Amino acid sequence: MTSTEGFARHGDHSYIAQFGESEKEVLLNLCEQIIELLAERTDHGHDDPLAAMVGITSHDSPPEDEVLHRLLPNAYADQVDASEFRRYTESTLRQKKQAHAISMRIHLKSADDGIVDLDHENANAWLGALNDIRLALGVRLKVENNSHEELELLAPDDPLRGVYAVYTWLGWLQETLLSALIDDADEDAESQLGSS
Amino acid sequence: MVKIADQLEAEIQAIFSGDTPWVTIVWDDPVNLQTYVVYVFMELFGYPKSRATELMLQVHNEGKAIVSSGSREEMEHDVARLHEYGLWATLQRGDQL
Repeated sequence: MTSTEGFARHGDHSYIAQFGESEKEVLLNLCEQIIELLAERTDHGHDDPLAAMVGITSHDSPPEDEVLHRLLPNAYADQVDASEFRRYTESTLRQKKQAHAISMRIHLKSADDGIVDLDHENANAWLGALNDIRLALGVRLKVENNSHEELELLAPDDPLRGVYAVYTWLGWLQETLLSALIDDADEDAESQLGSS
Repeated sequence: MVKIADQLEAEIQAIFSGDTPWVTIVWDDPVNLQTYVVYVFMELFGYPKSRATELMLQVHNEGKAIVSSGSREEMEHDVARLHEYGLWATLQRGDQL
């Protein structure tokens, strides 16, 4: 069984990783779950169809589900402002997050020999999707309250132990993609600075 | 660098027109990787790595940081983009910090 060495930069703005079959399965499964979770928060049937067309929804309160709440947070501390903003923007935000996860799913499904080759834009979609998955797992693991030391010490039969293993693996994977990207981005920023 | 000049211009304009500038605040979050937060600041705001790192450390150490300022509409746009990438961001009036 192969296990991935993470992402590395190849040539100009190309980021490549090779995944083993089981790694691919895990990633695909997580993508599906995020896509489904976001779809659960569909717009209400009684929405004005014209309003729905321009992205206005009847959602003016945050999701009750803790994970969805973390993925679709309030933009204002003030509740009235937060509701107003949510009504006009939440469906766009949901669509963008779904698009990131769908992009990741497409790459994984079409990966020959488990090889994924991303350009800059695809890499950003992957980062966003990987991050949403980590945020979702983080809520379930209660990363807010439990220290990493506590999570490391989960009993072998604790179902969260496997979740924590996936969570840390995804963090590592995200880190490999970031280090390949940041080298590029910093060179770009410096060349802009030099030319201004 | 263009972005910073734009912000300064917006702030100066606000002072003369009497409009209060708004700010975008990013809050600390135990899940988001430090490197990821730095990258998102570089990517969304065009900040150089040094500035992005400084802001990330401020978020991490002080619990929050102002990452951009300007008109209310501009800040709503910034917050929406930060939410797209999973950062925990809010906006508010700059004089109510």
